[in-house]
This record gives sequence, C-alpha cells and structure tokens, in this order.
Amino acid sequence: MPSHMLLRGQLLAATVMLGLSSTLAMAQQQPCIGNSAATTGPAAFGGAAIKMGAEIAIDEINAKGGVLGKKLSFVQYDDAGAPPRGVDNTRRIALADKCVAILGGYHSTVAVAQAEPVNEIGIPYVGVLAANTKAIENGANPNYMFRVSAKDKWVARFLVEQALKASKTGKVAFFYENTGWGNGALPDVKDAMAKAGKELVATETFNWNDQDMSPQVIRARDAGADVVLFWALDREGNQILRSMDKVGYKPTIIGAWGIAGNLGELAGPLADGVEVIQTYTFMGDMDPKKKALWEKLQAKYGLKQPSDVKMPSGVANAYDAVYIIAAAIEKAGAFDWKKVHDALYTVNLDGLVAEYKPAFDAKDPERQDAILPKYYKLTVWVDGKLLPIEQTKYGKTN
Amino acid sequence: MSTFIQYTLSGLAIGGIYALVALGFHIMWTAAKAVNFAHGDTLMIGAVLAVLGVDAGLPLWLACLLGVAAGALFGILLERFAVRPFTGGTTSIGWMLTTIAVGIMIESLATMQFGGFSRPLPSPGVEKAVHIMGAGIYPQELLIPLVAILAMVGLKFMQKHTLVGRAMQAVAHDKRAAALMGINVNRIVAFSFGLAALFGAAAGILVAPVIQVSATMGTLLGLKGFAVAIIGGITSAPGVVIAGLLFGVMEKFVEGYISTAAREIIGFSSMILVLLVFPQGLFGKREVLKV
Amino acid sequence: MRHLTSLGFVVFAAILVAVPLTAGNEYELRLFMLFLIYGVIAVGLNVLVGLTGLVSLGQAGLFALGSYTGAILAVRLGFDMLSASIGAAVVSGAFGVLLAYPTVRVRGVYLAVVTIAFGIIVENVAIEWQSLTGGTTGLSSIPRPNIFGYRISGFAFYGVLAVTLFLATLATYNLKRSRYGRAMLAVSQSETAARALGVNATAVRTLAFVVASVTAGIAGSFYAFLNSYISPDIFTFADSVRFLLMVILGGAASTFGPVIGAYILTYLPEFLQQFQLWQKFAYGALLLVVMFALPRGIVGTLWMLVQRLNPEKREADPAEGISAEQSLRHDVRDGEAELVARDLTVRFGGLTALSKASLRVKPGEVHALIGPNGAGKSTFVNTISGFYKPTEGEFELDGIQLTGKRSHEIARIGLARTFQNTELFGELTVLENVLVGYQQRLTYGIADALLRTPRLRREERESRRAAIGLLTFVGLDAYANEQARFLPFGLQRRLEIARALAAKPRLLLLDEPAAGLTTQEIDALEEMIRRIAALGISVLLIEHHVELIMAVADTVTVLDYGQVIASDTPAIVQEDPRVIEAYFGASLDAAKTEDVA
Repeated sequence: MPSHMLLRGQLLAATVMLGLSSTLAMAQQQPCIGNSAATTGPAAFGGAAIKMGAEIAIDEINAKGGVLGKKLSFVQYDDAGAPPRGVDNTRRIALADKCVAILGGYHSTVAVAQAEPVNEIGIPYVGVLAANTKAIENGANPNYMFRVSAKDKWVARFLVEQALKASKTGKVAFFYENTGWGNGALPDVKDAMAKAGKELVATETFNWNDQDMSPQVIRARDAGADVVLFWALDREGNQILRSMDKVGYKPTIIGAWGIAGNLGELAGPLADGVEVIQTYTFMGDMDPKKKALWEKLQAKYGLKQPSDVKMPSGVANAYDAVYIIAAAIEKAGAFDWKKVHDALYTVNLDGLVAEYKPAFDAKDPERQDAILPKYYKLTVWVDGKLLPIEQTKYGKTN
Repeated sequence: MSTFIQYTLSGLAIGGIYALVALGFHIMWTAAKAVNFAHGDTLMIGAVLAVLGVDAGLPLWLACLLGVAAGALFGILLERFAVRPFTGGTTSIGWMLTTIAVGIMIESLATMQFGGFSRPLPSPGVEKAVHIMGAGIYPQELLIPLVAILAMVGLKFMQKHTLVGRAMQAVAHDKRAAALMGINVNRIVAFSFGLAALFGAAAGILVAPVIQVSATMGTLLGLKGFAVAIIGGITSAPGVVIAGLLFGVMEKFVEGYISTAAREIIGFSSMILVLLVFPQGLFGKREVLKV
Repeated sequence: MRHLTSLGFVVFAAILVAVPLTAGNEYELRLFMLFLIYGVIAVGLNVLVGLTGLVSLGQAGLFALGSYTGAILAVRLGFDMLSASIGAAVVSGAFGVLLAYPTVRVRGVYLAVVTIAFGIIVENVAIEWQSLTGGTTGLSSIPRPNIFGYRISGFAFYGVLAVTLFLATLATYNLKRSRYGRAMLAVSQSETAARALGVNATAVRTLAFVVASVTAGIAGSFYAFLNSYISPDIFTFADSVRFLLMVILGGAASTFGPVIGAYILTYLPEFLQQFQLWQKFAYGALLLVVMFALPRGIVGTLWMLVQRLNPEKREADPAEGISAEQSLRHDVRDGEAELVARDLTVRFGGLTALSKASLRVKPGEVHALIGPNGAGKSTFVNTISGFYKPTEGEFELDGIQLTGKRSHEIARIGLARTFQNTELFGELTVLENVLVGYQQRLTYGIADALLRTPRLRREERESRRAAIGLLTFVGLDAYANEQARFLPFGLQRRLEIARALAAKPRLLLLDEPAAGLTTQEIDALEEMIRRIAALGISVLLIEHHVELIMAVADTVTVLDYGQVIASDTPAIVQEDPRVIEAYFGASLDAAKTEDVA
C-alpha cells in the first residue's frame, strides 16, 4: 500500500475517532425526548403508561408554546424488556435522533444496562418506572442517571416500617422474584431490616412463570413470619397467595408495585387486604388536578374507567419527568446535554406526585432520585380494586 | 410428613401437565418422526380461547370445548402446512424452524389479543383447597395427574381396539408398508397431530385455573414436556407419562430441599445424563442401526 | 467458480474498510460492530450446521459462556481484551467438546434438545452463581476494550472485529475445501459410508462443535467488551434460534451466506420497529417465508442460479490423472492381503445371525460369499467391517487383529467396502466422493487446512490426480463434476467401487455389487473385478449372481442359517449336496431364478 494512502487512511481514522469520542458536542441536540421501554410482550402496559404520561405533558407544554420557542417531540422505541435492545435504543436516541434527554422504562435490568452508555455519552436519563437502586446510584461522577420514580432502597425502608408496624411478632419474611429487580431489592430490604434492629426470618425466591410456591410458603410459615413482603409481579403474586391458601397460611402482605396490576382479578378474595406501594393512583377520590389529567387520558386514549390505567405511577412519573426536563432546558437556555444535566439540579416544581424542591441535589448521590419516600402512597386491594388505603377499612384500623 | 405429602401432591399436579404435554410429543413423534416444537403454544391456545369465550359470555363448558376443538384444528393445520412439507428431508432443521416460527406468530397474536397480563379461568376446582394428611391442594390439581393417566390408558386402548388406532401403529412401524396396506398415511399423521394438539389444548384448559392464562404460559411447559418425553422415551406412552409425573415430583423436592433456583439446572442436566446412559430414554425402544 | 469466491473476499474486505469511513454516527457504526460479532458466531455455527448437518439450538449458551468468561477475566483478574478473549475461546471450546460427546449416542432432534437444555442450564447457572456472575443483575463496568493494558479507540476495536470476522470467514472457507470439510460433509450425508472409508465420525463432529463453540466464545467476549454490561437475559433460547436462522437464511454450507444472514438479522429489529405491536409476528412470518421460499438460503439460491447459467465442465481431464495402477501400487510389502475370520458368532437378542462362521480370503484371490436370503451374509460383512460387534470369535487382516476395532480403524488398516444399498455422498460431486475415499492417505493437519499451506496444496493436488485416475479406471471421468445423486444407478455402483479403491485398500469388500444392474453392466463389472484383482487387491465378493461368481471367484464360501456349509472352488461347491439342499433343495440355477423373483 503506497504511503500516501496509509496517511489518508490514518487521517480518516482520526476523524472517525473524533466522532466516536462523542462527548464532544457535535451538533445542537434536538428538542425531542426519547424513551426505551417495553411496548410489546408481557410488560407492554409499562411502555404504554410512560407514553401516555409523556405525551400528555408534551402536548400541554407545546400548547403553551413549547420550550425555548421550540415544540418538543417524543420518540419511543421498544426494548421488549431486553437489556441489549435497551442499550441499542439508548445509543439510537442519543446519537442518531440526538434527543436532549431520555426517559427510562419498566425493566430494572434494562435500566442497569443503560447506565453505562448514558454516562459514557453524557445524555441526561430520567427513569420513570424501574426502581432498581444501583441503576441510578451507580457511583459515576458526573452522573447522568436521574429518576422520577420509586427507589427500591427507599421502598424497602418504607415497606419494612409498615411491616414492623403490622407485625405482632416482629418476624418478617421476604418473597422476591429471581430477576434483576427482585435480586436488586434483597440487600435493600435486608439493610432496612438491620436498621430497625431485626432480621428477615425467611428470604424466598421464585422464577417467572412458576406454578406453585408451596415449598417457599411452607418455609416462611414454619419460620413463624406474620408479615410477608412481596417483590413480585401480579402473576407470581397470585401463585404465592394461592399456595398460602392451600397450606392455610394467612400473613399480612405488603408489596412493591409489581402487584399493582391485576392481582385483584387473578386472586379474587385472596387479594383482599394485600397492600401495595405506589407513587400515584387514579382510584378512589380525585382532586381537581388528578381529575383534569384523567379527563385528558380519557379523551386522548379512549379509556373508560380509572382501573384501565394499569400502571398509574408510570403515567404520573413520566408526566412529572417531562415537566422537570422542560424546566431544566429553559434554565439551561439550550438544548445541550451537559447544560441540561447541570440545570436539572436547580429545578423546582410542584408536580403530580410530589413537590420537587429541588428535583435533584448535586451534593447528595442519593438525591439523583426526585420522589422522596414521604410521597410514596400505600394502596390496598379491595374487591378487585386497588384503592388508597386511607379510603378503605384497612386504613381505618391502622 | 405433611411437607413430604405436600411436595408429592404439588409435584404430581405439575408432573401431570408435563405428562400430558409429553404424551402429545409421543403421538406426533410416532406418527411422523417430527414434532411441533411450539407444542407448548397449543396449551396457550386452548386456555386463551377458553378465557376469551367466557369473556364473550359463553358458558364455561362451551368455552372450554371450543378451546379444545380450536387447539385440535390448529394441530391439523400446523401439520399440513408447516410440518409435512419438511418431513421428507434428511435433516430436521426445516420443521423445527417452521414450527418455532408458527409458535412465535401465535404467541405474538395472543399477546396482542390478550394483553401482557395473566388472566384467570374460573373453575369450581380451585375455589377451596382440600387437605390430605396436613397437605393442602386444590381438587383441580388432583385431577391433572389422573387425566394424564386416563389419557394414556385411553390412547393405548384406542391403538389396540380401534381401526384408526391400529392404523396409527402401522404408520408408526413402517410408513411405506402402511401405505401399501391401503392406509392413508397423510391422514393418519394429520390425525395424530390433531390428537396431540387436542391433548395439549385440554391440558392448557385443565391447568389454567391453577397457573393462570397468559400468552407465554406454554413456552416453558412445552420445553419441559419435550425434555420429559425424551427422558421417558418418546416412543413409549406409559414411559413419558411416568417420567412426567416423576419429573414434577422431583422438581418440588429440589425446590423444597435444595433451592428453587437449582430446579432448572438439575432438571435439564438430568435429562442430558439420562440421554447419555439411555439414548432412547428410560422406557424407549432401541432402534437397531441398519447398514 | 473459485474466482467468484475470491472476488467475494475482495468485495467483503472493501466493505469492511469502507463502512467506518461512511458511517453517519457512532450508533450506526456500533450496530455494524454488533453485526460483525454476530457474523463470527454465524460463520462458526455454519461449520456445525451447514457442513456437519448437526442442529444446535444452544448457541446462545456458548455465546454466554464466552461472554461471561471474557468479562470475568477482565473484571476480576484484570486481563486485557485479547487474553480475555483467548480465555473465552478456550472455555467455550472445552464445553464444545463436552457438547459433542452426546452426538456419539444421539442425533437429530435428540441432539437439538440436548443443546436447548445446555443453553437453559448456562442461563440458569449464570443467574444462580451470583458471586461469580453477578446473578440476574449481571456484570457491569466491564472495562473498555484494551490491548496489553492500553485502551484502544472505538475505531481500533472496529478493526479488531472486522479482522476477526474476515479471518473467521476465510478460515472456514479453507476448512471447507480441505479434507476436514469434506469429511464433515461426508459424515452428514452418509455416516456409514464415511466410517467405512476411515473417517472418524466422532472426531469430525467434535471438531465441528469445537469450531462452532470457539467462534461463539470469541464473539461472546467481544460482545461483553462492546456492551460493557452483560446479564443472563441477553442469552436466551430466542437468540439461539436467531443464530441458527442467520445460517439458514444466508445459506447453510456457503461461504458468505452466514455473514449475509447475520447482517440481515442484526438490522432486522431496527426495521421491524415500525410494525410496533406486530414486530414479533413479522419476525415469525419472515422465518416461515425463508423456510418455504429460500430453503437453501440467499447465497445457496444465488449459487444455484449461477451454476445453471454458467454450468461447470462436467468431465475431468483424464490427462490430469495418474493411472490407478500407479496410485494403488503398494510400495514396500507385498500388498496381497489375507483375511482370516475364526468362529464368528453374532447374536441380536435371542436371534443368532451368525454361528461360528470361519472364512479365509487367501492373498490376492477373489473370494465369493453366497447363501440364501437371511443366511447371515450381511451380518458377516457388517461384522468384519466393524459395524457390528461379534459376540464371539475373532478376525484379522494379515495377522493384524481387527476384533473390537471400530469401523474407521478397520478401514485404515486396509479393508474397504461398498454397500448393498448404495451409500454415496449424494450432494458431493463424483470427484469429491472419491476424494473422501482418499482421505486416510492424506497427512496434513488442521493448521495446514486453516492456513492452506504448500504441503496441503501439494497433497490435495496429488489426491485429485489419483482420484481422476480412479474415475478413469471405472469409466466415470466424464461425470467428475456431477453431483453423485444425479448419476444413474449402475454408475453409482461404479462410483462406490472407485471411492473404496481410493482408500488404497488391501482387501476390497463388495456387497452385492451386481444387484440391480443390467446384463451389460454385469459384464463390465466382471471385467472390473478382474482388473482390481490384477492390481493385487484381494476381493471378498458377496453376491447372488451365480454366473458372475462362477466367472470371477477363485473360492466360494456358502453360508446357511449363519453357518458355513461349504468352502471350495466354484466347481466343487456347485456340486455340493448341502449347498443344493440349502437352496430349497434345488440346483444353483434354480436358486438364481428364485433370487430374481
């Protein structure tokens, strides 16, 4: 190969390398917000909830003239819950679509996988569902991973507090699914118990699609637990309830929001009294703000009743997240990843789920999360409906 | 003791499903030396259609009947259009991939129709648990292994005493000779696939009240049913049923005494080991190499 | 045709160089890098599926093994990318050997299920072995790609991947054209014939598994470095199906097919996103369409078109060949071999197929073995060629003990055979069939094959010349480049003889070579047997056709109910009352008509 061709090759290679070290802002980022979530497969309702919340917020913002004079747009890609596709989508949104920010999806494993490219590229990521602690608290500095959703660490503390309140013996068992979400929560729950000076009497795990949990249930029963914490989805949650029914075991059950979908339909009366944490719900009485949002959902997506929203927390979190991002762009004065990232720490906002003041705190690595535990809401299954606990008989006894 | 009984009963319930699925694989294999790799999806078809039928206001029994019938029809169509064109070749890649493809399409359709959530199928069999020596179990679960054994006995009876059953055995033994005897081989093979799918759909409906109905409910059951068929010896109907029941019980004891997590590892490893020691499965017939 | 493949490699290299220069953004380039990784898996899997005819639905398991090994070596032990990838290749390769073991006993669907089970086991071990693999949370913070501790740029990493895929494609192409590739194709088309020609089928399958798993392992390790995060749910059954589909879609056994298949299936999810909810359905439908419309894959179909438009010369140039007399001459020892079987007994369950049968083929003679149907002739043939194990008794060739040896070992000692129901490698050409027979005389190794060394070229040239000579010897040189399955039946028989001769046997075993032949063809066969005997090769002839036996045999042995009832010159045997008795109390001439019926 003649030497001048070699040289040219190297020059070209150098230009490509510049392109590859992508933190060098190539061009202005675009006024779009991307999202990688499952829109197909068993958790498609998660992607649908995010889409609803984000689109309504964006419609509202655009109706008022957009951000920095530009209309926002929303791009959603399907990852079907598969981490590699989530990573690909992240890169696509950041590098091909050049969106100014990206919203997270439903699956914790996807969120954990996204942390790497997000921080490498340096695009602000705001999680709106997946609650895995480590996805956001990943040790990176600067950290581009933010979240407007529940965080397992705080959820664990919240639930353990509730559990110990409900328990007569102080013996608590923990049932978690054998996935990134469930396994990620295990240390959080153990820590929360340790902080309360207690230890879990049983930690039981199970896989998706398991049909029968009687061995696990028997072990928890024999350990004497009178409160059981669930990190499960509706389907497996139901199987646990049925196995408990079979072996005649009736503890108090408090769960993370995986069982907020259709547990009531699946388990029937067995679900009554099962408590679930959420960040938002359309069930029960509505205040004017909630009513306004509900009417927009009805009009835009043809929903009939509040229980049609299978993941209300996702809708509200995405709605709030979009407003927070929009406010940050305004503050930054540019569609620029780094500037928006820095501005996110200065946003104050009165949102649907919480009052964010400020939304995030640059000094505290724990405060990449916007929704503080005091805004978590306890709901309870009653007659197939998931109602705010204070509006039910279960709330009154507490 | 009550724990022991609990594991055994729960294991038999799940094992009954494996047995019914494996019985389907046995029927298909003996007829065509090919199977539907997505046989697990026939369970899903039966159960999903039954739930949709109940949604549409049909009485439970009619919805279930329609589910089973649709499952059988699916089996026949699948054989005709996805399996038969590929059974002539030397390798099995053809029908493996086409049946997997059909499975992907059916699962995708079901997800769209049915949503991501699991749905219950009402049944009187899961309203109240019964207790046997301290172990609790739903009557529906007790029914499953019984149905599996009855299905196997029925199949044997049919093969011995009915014309179509004997024709099935003739086809299994030697296709060419059967054709020379005036048996319509294609029709028998189609019938076998239909019968296998009918068992599958019935198994799906039977187990639905216990494990709930979803678009993906059949995937793992199908794979395990296949593994069980191979362990038991795919050429032997009693073999696959016994293997299925034992496999289910083994799983429960692994879950109970080792860990839930080890279940799949131990289950599939034991399948490979069985194959290494008994290439034709525990109860299967050995095929002599012809030169 | 070979020029077309060479051109293919040039174009392929040009594309690999051009892509990074034209990629619009990093995302596009990364997607292409993902394709390169999948390409490596597909190219390796093609050796298993395309050449050896084995189905693996557990390739994602091997991919996962490589991925985890690479990542763990890098994260926990600080290996750089290259050494981590070598480690990954070694670990995956070892599991490939393990996976190949079941093929000794099970094939087809059984094997497919074993591979599925393997994939599921790997996935679950990755989930359970938390301390090592990070469990379901996966392994994150895998270091950026680095070599000898120096972090390399994205472009350099691209270079590593591109070179890997290019070399993997080239190496498998070389493998395919070598004795190993031919042995794989032979084993997949007729294992029986391959073994009878001295091919160690188990070793060949193990090699194929090792190639497929080493490539998957390397690809897995690169994948871990590209993604810098791995978790168990990346490696599912659906991925195994996708890897298999890459090979089938592109064209199994073709050189560039798997690469093209990998390219399409890497970009397909992007394309299918537009179908929203229907994307999985569309994927399934596409898989179905491929199986019906393109069963040979894209490249396979194109290749067929090219061959139709521009057919290769059918015949070989006889001048290129070396005569059979020259190529089959035994150099040092006297080549005429003696086969001795003593008291061979073979029982199948309760049935005694052969009972204390003894037989001696004297050096250089044509020895005929006859007997009524069911007398045990086939059992005898299959026993001395190593396909059945004798229950009692022993047999030897020139004093070398053959009892207990496997068929390919017996073949290598100098016994070649043909088959009653012809067992040709149907999809190989006539010439290639004979080359497989020549196999055991080649000495070059796997490294020579992958690198295409001068030694390989020399030996291959020699074997080709010898093969053409043998085709001329049996009168098939005009069909050299035809696929064997298209030959008329009579010619297929001749091809089997040429193929057996290519092994340079000292004893040739002909199993009913005249069955189904016309009178003229039998005359030609008679003459051919004489010529073979004239080469100094002892012949054991199993035959019904009495005229042929009378004409060529020096000795005739008669089997009845598994026992030898006579053994002498044809004239004497013909008059033996026991022989006449055995043939339903009739004379041999009557027996002949019996057989025809």
